[in-house]
Amino acid sequence: MQIGWIQVVEFRNYRTLNWTPAPRLNLLQGPNAQGKTNLLEALGMLVTGRSFRTSRLAEIPRWGAESSSLAGELGRGEAEPAARRTVRRTLTKLEDGGWQNAGEAVEWARAIAFGWQDLEIINGAPGARRNFIDGFATRLYPAHLATLVRYRQVLARRNRLLQGGWQGEAGAARLEPWNEQLAEVGMELIARRRKAVAALQTELARVYGALSATRGKVEVRYRTALGEASEPAALLAALARARGAELRRGQTLVGPHRDDLAIEIDATDARAFGSRGQQRLVALALRLAEILPVTEAAGTAPILLLDDALSELDPGVRAEVLRELGTAEQVFLTTPEPLAVEGAAVFRVNGGGVAAA
Amino acid sequence: MAHYPEPVARLIDALQRLPGIGPKTAQRLTFFLLKRPAEEVRELSESLVAVKDRIVYCQTCFNVTDADPCRLCADPARDARLLCVVEEPNDLMAMERTGEYRGRYHVLLGALSPLDGIGPDDLKVRELLGRLENGTVGEVILATNPNVEGEATALYLARLLRPLGLRVTRIARGLPVGGDLEYADQVTLSKALEGRREIS
Ligand SMILES: Nc1ncnc2c1ncn2[C@@H]1O[C@H](COP(=O)(O)OP(=O)(O)OP(=O)(O)O)[C@@H](O)[C@H]1O
Ligand SMILES: [Mg+2]
Ligand SMILES: [Zn+2]
Repeated sequence: MQIGWIQVVEFRNYRTLNWTPAPRLNLLQGPNAQGKTNLLEALGMLVTGRSFRTSRLAEIPRWGAESSSLAGELGRGEAEPAARRTVRRTLTKLEDGGWQNAGEAVEWARAIAFGWQDLEIINGAPGARRNFIDGFATRLYPAHLATLVRYRQVLARRNRLLQGGWQGEAGAARLEPWNEQLAEVGMELIARRRKAVAALQTELARVYGALSATRGKVEVRYRTALGEASEPAALLAALARARGAELRRGQTLVGPHRDDLAIEIDATDARAFGSRGQQRLVALALRLAEILPVTEAAGTAPILLLDDALSELDPGVRAEVLRELGTAEQVFLTTPEPLAVEGAAVFRVNGGGVAAA
Repeated sequence: MAHYPEPVARLIDALQRLPGIGPKTAQRLTFFLLKRPAEEVRELSESLVAVKDRIVYCQTCFNVTDADPCRLCADPARDARLLCVVEEPNDLMAMERTGEYRGRYHVLLGALSPLDGIGPDDLKVRELLGRLENGTVGEVILATNPNVEGEATALYLARLLRPLGLRVTRIARGLPVGGDLEYADQVTLSKALEGRREIS
């Protein structure tokens, strides 16, 4: 898919911007703090309705502004006008101080974003890896998001009951309906995450092999205390075993919110890798490996939002990354320093403005 | 600093306590009412007082009513073998609007909600069990909302009713995700009722 044009109003450090990007590789260059990442955020939000950077909507509107808006044209395929959609999104401050996020969904529109925070997928806490796989699973299966929201709702309510210290039979009877829902919704989450991991595996091996000089063998696995089980009954049984500890801690101790991904290179935990460049490369490879399965699921290629994706990589690896990007559809790549790439459209980002270089 | 005259400030303050109404909306409503004819405003204030004075909960089904038992409970044409359990009186109204359901109702006046500290004892559960004692009811339809609280309430009741040996069904999913019965359209709700299934 492609973004034909975008209009950005009162969004981060942009007052108004009207911009027509190129259909393939767009290089966004400019000094620090000029709005490169903000522009990627706006492009991503136009496509998906959400920011890849924050869940706090209040951060997004230009400081002091009561609303933000985005408009633009999304197209799939190059020719047919039927495959073009003009979308509008607005963030508006409500009376109670909250923010309303309005705009329609475009079923086939997808964006894959890479940024410095993705290093956390490799060396951060398990939560970062769960977020990664849930984000990817949502791009493959949009229903995953509703399941995730429902799971969190059930979990919060079950934890509250555990904290209430309900003992004995009355406590068990109160927990029961939440156990059943947790098990059912939890297993649905786990099943989709496993499918997502399987969909990632082959491409990850190919992409990492192509990018890294060492051609290391990389592997991702889904890790859960439930082993290979796929029935809600298994999660129910695990909850029953954990009951005593859960009541003491006031927390749900088994379920997909405790699961993790194992990411290994040549059978070594990627976290243990000393080289920062290597960690960045694995993180980038994970995002690039998403492209093919997401394209197949959505019926059109996602746009790529790559924030400073080349930094800390050596020239040889950079060249391989750029070669890989040459096969992608529309790409937005930011760099703080000038960079020459054949066939790329180059734009200068400066103080909330974008101009062809 | 300028202040509103006391009656104006008092109304703004009162309106603001209603759910979903912030200070700006409360002001807008107040000035809207000031412009309306006196009798229209009197009608509004009298209807506010009347709901508090004349409306009670039916002591059988816990629907809101001006006569106890309510018209639905008193109607001999309604099938006493079917009992539909809903969370709130407005859910009952939504069910009635489908025109498909000819049984009776039981309103729980809430749903299990750990975050609000609402447990089974805060709902009309004991009263529900009481209504099932004489064996007239053959099927209980659990029509609580499709959100996590409504689902938990249905699962809780299903487990509680199982030993009584009657048919316990849950209205079909397919209602808007996380939505309320109240907002489901009539066709969707009729389908959900029709597609109800026994829950184990
Ligand atoms: N809501 C907002 N309103 C106004 N300005 C904002 C808002 N949010 C962020 N900014 C500012 O936008 C500026 C540009 O941020 P951005 O992250 O896009 O920079 P960048 O060009 O990506 O820089 P770098 O090369 O350092 O990554 C920052 O100085 C930041 O303070
Ligand atoms: Mg940046
Ligand atoms: Zn009644």
